[in-house]
Amino acid sequence: MDNDNKVTTQVIETEVPMGTIHSAALEPYRLRLFVEDEIVRDAELTVGVNHRGIERIMEGLPVEKANSLTEKICGICSNSHIWNSCLVAEKGLEIDVPPRAEYIRIIMEELERLHSHLLYLAHGSEVLGHETFAMRLFYIRETVMELLRMIGGNRVQYGASIIGGVRPRCDLDEMRIQKIIEGMDYVEEKVLDFADRFIRDPMVMSRISGIAAITKEDARRLATTGPSLRATGIGEDLRLDMKQYEPFEFDVITQDTGDVKANLLMRVLEIPESIKIIRQAIKDLPDGKITNRSWEMQDTDIIRSYIEVPRGKLYHSYKIEDGRVRNSIVRTPSITNINTMEFACIGTHITDAQLAIVQCDPCFTCTDRAVQIVDQPFRKNRII
Amino acid sequence: MGLKSYSRARAVHVMLVYTGGCNGCDIEIVNCIFSPKYDAEQYKVFLTWNPREADVLVVTGPVTKHVEEPLKAIYESIPEPKAVVAAGACATMGGVYKNIYGDIPSEEIAGPVDEIIPVAAKIPGCAVRPEDVLSGVVAALPLLLNAK
Ligand code: SF4
Repeated sequence: MDNDNKVTTQVIETEVPMGTIHSAALEPYRLRLFVEDEIVRDAELTVGVNHRGIERIMEGLPVEKANSLTEKICGICSNSHIWNSCLVAEKGLEIDVPPRAEYIRIIMEELERLHSHLLYLAHGSEVLGHETFAMRLFYIRETVMELLRMIGGNRVQYGASIIGGVRPRCDLDEMRIQKIIEGMDYVEEKVLDFADRFIRDPMVMSRISGIAAITKEDARRLATTGPSLRATGIGEDLRLDMKQYEPFEFDVITQDTGDVKANLLMRVLEIPESIKIIRQAIKDLPDGKITNRSWEMQDTDIIRSYIEVPRGKLYHSYKIEDGRVRNSIVRTPSITNINTMEFACIGTHITDAQLAIVQCDPCFTCTDRAVQIVDQPFRKNRII
Repeated sequence: MGLKSYSRARAVHVMLVYTGGCNGCDIEIVNCIFSPKYDAEQYKVFLTWNPREADVLVVTGPVTKHVEEPLKAIYESIPEPKAVVAAGACATMGGVYKNIYGDIPSEEIAGPVDEIIPVAAKIPGCAVRPEDVLSGVVAALPLLLNAK
């Protein structure tokens, strides 16, 4: 690309702004692409429109209330937030969670991963311009949403975890277990079917192979996390270290190319792994109670907890004072993936820039809590 | 039914504006209009992102200070007749973000929606159920169809 600069006498440099409200993006964000002869030379992605100050309004709330508030951080991975927030309190107050509750939490988390990945694939297909795939995936996703509604009582924001276990409403009886087993069979069959068609479609493949590739080194440098990191070939998955996942057998999927194709395939291949975990959890579901209510509130230091959520590493921490939450910090995976998105855009053709953004599974509602410090607010004058 | 109402009823364009909620409502609404299970397109309800094409504006989220002005601008640019539907607990009454009563009150929220633009129908729920979205949009339709 450097050579182009030397040869051309006149460089056409344009800024293409996109957003804040744009049809390709559900959520409001602002993307500025600095384009030279239709090749993106630099990109800038700004969030901040939907800043609600969750951590600040969490300050001083009773712990139970704060836990349910964390669920409202994100409507896609709501279960992950409430689970991790409960884990913080459980760690600090040294509460043992009954094994049955642990298993139900895992089932909820993996169902959520399924619906998040299916949504990602549907969104990706839509940006690719393949609406049939998008519709099919939405249809498969409906099954997962129905299962979530059956267990949690709501299609989004199921609020399964409470301190010490899961809500009594989320207990699994025979009928529910049967429905989950049937649902998983259906999803697995349909997703494998989709994967087959997806891989064998030469049009789709030519549109996504080699686009917006990220190398291992760049992924490390940009602190990419989650499936986007694994798509570059680094098999890092926090589920391997979490004690909740110890009883389960599953493979960590990796791809090597780090491009859009690798990212899409990554999510496709993670779906059968999640189904595997759910099946094991259903099979070995322990008996017993689902909530441990014998605990006492006490003051704690700042407690930290990391878990793996559909998009990567999620961090929650707070300290408890008089049963109230203080100094809460939430760090969502998308905050580091934003850098990856910007970086992935550079060097792509402008029509592929949106794909480069979508490949990292953008979710900005959870990211919009951060304070961003920018030394140069306008990079427009930068010489590209 | 006049010719205008007849043709309006055959192409209801819904524009979705996201004003700082948690994404739960938005995905449910897109799901409800697009996806094969609910498929509002079979009732000739279409999703658009162009305010000049839209008939119904569906607003989700508690309206943060940043989007207050853009929301007004979007509302202004929708041609008459128009109807606004506020979807979700956030949009109807500020949701948890406005009414959680922690130590520090939330200063980011300008909403709920009806304090900023006139609202014709409110859909409760956190997140809204797709069935309710359909009935909310249908409840706002007479405003469009009976307009001159
Ligand atoms: S009403 Fe609930 S689900 Fe909808 S945007 Fe607000 S917090 Fe999210």
